[in-house]
Amino acid sequence: MKARQNGRGSNDAPHGCENESLSGRLLARLVPLNLRASGTEDGMTVVSARSSEWVRPVTQQDPASAIIEIDRVSQVFQTSARKDHVALSDISLRIEERAFVSILGPSGCGKSTLLYIVGGFVSPTSGAAKVKGQAIKGPGPDRGPVFQEFALFPWKTVLGNVMYGPRQQGIRAAEAEAQSRALIDMVGLKGYENFYPKELSGGMKQRVALARTLAYHPEVLLMDEPFGALDAHTRTRLQNDLLNIWERDRKTVLFVTHSVDEAVFLSDKVVMMSKSPGRIRQVIDIDLPRPRRRNELLLDPRYQKYVVDIERMFDESDEGGVPA
Amino acid sequence: MMSPAGMTKRAAPVLACIGLLVVWQVASLALKNDSFPTAMGAITAIPDILGDKESLVNILASLRRMAMGFGAAVLVSIPLGLLMGRSAAIAAFFNPLLMVIYPVPKAALMPIIMLWLGVGDIAKTLVIFLGVSLPVIYHSFEGAKAVEEKMLWSGAAMGLLPVQRLVRIVLPAALPEILTGCRTGLVLALITMITSEMIARQSGAGNILFNALDMGQYDTVFAMIIIVGAMGICLDAIFERVRARLVRWSEPQFDMPLSFS
Repeated sequence: MKARQNGRGSNDAPHGCENESLSGRLLARLVPLNLRASGTEDGMTVVSARSSEWVRPVTQQDPASAIIEIDRVSQVFQTSARKDHVALSDISLRIEERAFVSILGPSGCGKSTLLYIVGGFVSPTSGAAKVKGQAIKGPGPDRGPVFQEFALFPWKTVLGNVMYGPRQQGIRAAEAEAQSRALIDMVGLKGYENFYPKELSGGMKQRVALARTLAYHPEVLLMDEPFGALDAHTRTRLQNDLLNIWERDRKTVLFVTHSVDEAVFLSDKVVMMSKSPGRIRQVIDIDLPRPRRRNELLLDPRYQKYVVDIERMFDESDEGGVPA
Repeated sequence: MMSPAGMTKRAAPVLACIGLLVVWQVASLALKNDSFPTAMGAITAIPDILGDKESLVNILASLRRMAMGFGAAVLVSIPLGLLMGRSAAIAAFFNPLLMVIYPVPKAALMPIIMLWLGVGDIAKTLVIFLGVSLPVIYHSFEGAKAVEEKMLWSGAAMGLLPVQRLVRIVLPAALPEILTGCRTGLVLALITMITSEMIARQSGAGNILFNALDMGQYDTVFAMIIIVGAMGICLDAIFERVRARLVRWSEPQFDMPLSFS
């Protein structure tokens, strides 16, 4: 297992190209350097050994192929006049394009808060988060959330919910409907287009929520314990379906969970967090082959070792405890 | 084909009405009091009122004021309530004002309003407006406050601006609660309509009622009470139909059994 300590100040990572005023000639010289830098282990950024597969031809916008950069982010909530609750303390993290990254930790470690900061729903107390080199100032259609609570629009049918995003982006009704019907089919809800959310089970609602978010083509999926409210059976089925969908069209996914199995099963990289204050303990590359099939993976000793090792690490920590 | 239980359910309101009229008739015959006409007397007076052109004009004028007061109140109160529900600052500003106005019977303001605006339509419409506003504001406020944050975030991620989120997410999400407030408001509109006409005697259904009372035409008084009551039932039934259509998506799938059987 390649577990590396995630040092402070991962902003030491190459970011020469964030400066957009750099001339093309200078960029051309810098790009190969950056590529090498992210490929070598500089101890600061954690790059999956297989990340080279996902590095697309380097463009000027994302020379290091990091789509999300979180730089020394802290979040303090004022719980009472005297006491502050430090939800996140000095978090730095780089997320590669097209990677499936899970944030794993016990409840109260601020993992959802971190996701909300990337979503632009919450502003950090200090530090900065960037998406594609741009500072995050608010929510945007480039980052699509999927919440544990589904948050569907109950006055809209399944089709109405899925069409909402495309329609908002000005896509013509007929075209939006055709796309949405295809997505509803993809998440396995063909025939339920005209149902209202109240008529659906929890698992079906989460399928609709996923389709609704995919419908406006976000570059990053932000999933906030999406299967946390579902029963074990439904949960497993949705994990399988999510992997199938993701392996077809790899988007960057930031996936918050407190389930070790789920994190290892789905992810390329697991970010382990500890609580009070919320910090990154470790970032672990999950080097398991894809496409992953549940029945094969559960028998795979490498998978089992990841799960056991991560659970042991949570056990050893006196602050975190085992995530449920 | 209807089951016996279903037929009983259908017939129950009719039976209740007939029962009430029978009790009324018997009590009136027993008491032999001039100011308590028989049910038959009151009912036979209804066609006289509805057949009289002047009375009809008066009743329609009342309904027009009621519609205007109710409509204006709804148009102002829903946006205000929604804003209060989503903005702590706006709520903090308006809440104390509303708390002061809330317990005051709106009809009690009528004399002052008459002093300022006269006894005409404007004063009466204003009183109806005040009577309807508070429940609609309150329910819109509660409805907007209860809207799930994540739903608004989902909308924001799709690119909806704050004003669009208020109109296109908060408003529909709070609609069931808003319409509950409007239903209360509708009944209050009818009540304030009659009381305003009782104080500012000039025209309207309330005026007919209290003029008849002054002249000792008790069967007309009771006939007017029946007419006003029937208007209330009809308006409420129409509103309930509209409401049920608008928020079909939020109703429970199966009706809860109301009986103990």
